[in-house]
Amino acid sequence: MSCSNFKTYRIILLALTGMVLVQGSYVRAQSLLDELGADEPAAHPVYATFKDTRIINVQSNETPGKDVMHFVIAHRFGQINEGAYSLWGLDNASMRMALDYGLTERLSIGVGRSTFQKTFESSLKWKALEQQSDNSIPIGVTLYAVGMARGDSTFAESQVNRTFANRLSYTYQAIITRKWTEKFSLAVVPSFTHRNLVGFSSDAHDQWTLGVGARYKLAARLSLNSEYHFLIDGLPDGAQNSLSIGVDIETGGHVFQLHITNSRGMFERAFLTETNGRWLDGALFFGFNLSRVFDF
Amino acid sequence: MTRNGNVEFFSATFVEDIEAQNEMASGLLAADGRFAFRVPILGFRFEKALMEEHFNENYLESTQFPNGTFEGTIANWDPNFESGTWHDVIASGKLTVHGIEKNREISSKIMRDKDGWKIQSAFVIATADHEIPIPKMVRDKIAEEISVTVDLNLLPR
Repeated sequence: MSCSNFKTYRIILLALTGMVLVQGSYVRAQSLLDELGADEPAAHPVYATFKDTRIINVQSNETPGKDVMHFVIAHRFGQINEGAYSLWGLDNASMRMALDYGLTERLSIGVGRSTFQKTFESSLKWKALEQQSDNSIPIGVTLYAVGMARGDSTFAESQVNRTFANRLSYTYQAIITRKWTEKFSLAVVPSFTHRNLVGFSSDAHDQWTLGVGARYKLAARLSLNSEYHFLIDGLPDGAQNSLSIGVDIETGGHVFQLHITNSRGMFERAFLTETNGRWLDGALFFGFNLSRVFDF
Repeated sequence: MTRNGNVEFFSATFVEDIEAQNEMASGLLAADGRFAFRVPILGFRFEKALMEEHFNENYLESTQFPNGTFEGTIANWDPNFESGTWHDVIASGKLTVHGIEKNREISSKIMRDKDGWKIQSAFVIATADHEIPIPKMVRDKIAEEISVTVDLNLLPR
């Protein structure tokens, strides 16, 4: 064996040893944190798809949570195009108060009262399906049922029709939601509304609407919301599809929702099937919801 | 090593006390005194569901920064610590919360027992150190300095 051959072996051996050493120090440099492994936290229901139990008018997927009382005071002012005489509608406020209570994490009951048509409501809301962080369930489905009873004494033209049953209407909804990103959530809301008494014999007692609602988070505590409800069987006389745009401002246990909408009423029958403001005419209403939670 | 260590924190102000508990901390202690701890932020449980939502969405931004970690070396480590008694040690390393790293020296107690090692610690995290903004409106409800207590039971791997 020649001398140069021996040298080559030595160089190869040195190189190999070097590689082993580098490899060894690389293993040492790998942090203990990496050794802990990347155990992802267990899948959990996606939080804050929407900030409040309502997107604007329509219910969101959210419920108050177990033993939480959710109190809402909402104002809807007069038509903006009434002009300066009524301070662009601000002179005429109608109001809605509502109390929702979480029986379980996912089930809540509620009562409400609107000055508009002196209407009482009682409702049941159930998060049937919750979107999961690992997408094992990619959407949330919340079911909502509300019964509404108007209490105004001027209700119905003829005395004959002025029965309690005729004051009632019902809405059933499936609120299908997905939080796409930290900032963007979408809801699709098919609704069925039944009115025991309608204005004209030609009006349908049953109305299907298909709604779309969205939330876009602009800042940590501020989001832009909008919703639209499409009357599937076409527009009854004078009726419009409901379109609302607003913001959510969150401050601790309060959520303020400010919005502009072409719906005057704040309960389902009114805004889904009896909206009559036209956006293009400026027949719009400014309003706000203020919610507060109380824990028990 | 542990996968179910206990980490609690407490925020006390004149108006409101807020506390949360997490039983999902994991930790590793090497024979040479190096350590690594990790706490999944989403694992903190609050008394009120809304607090938990705010904590994750507005303060810790836990989808973006899912873990709090502490990694370093026990400064006065002695592999022959007498078992059955608590020893005061200084854990020196990098504390990462809300994606912001801080070098910290945290005094802790450590005890060897027949199963493994027990570690207990109590320290303070300043929200400003980790760029966790607290709006003026809730400043009287959320303390700027959060007390953290740690209770870990490390078993051999």
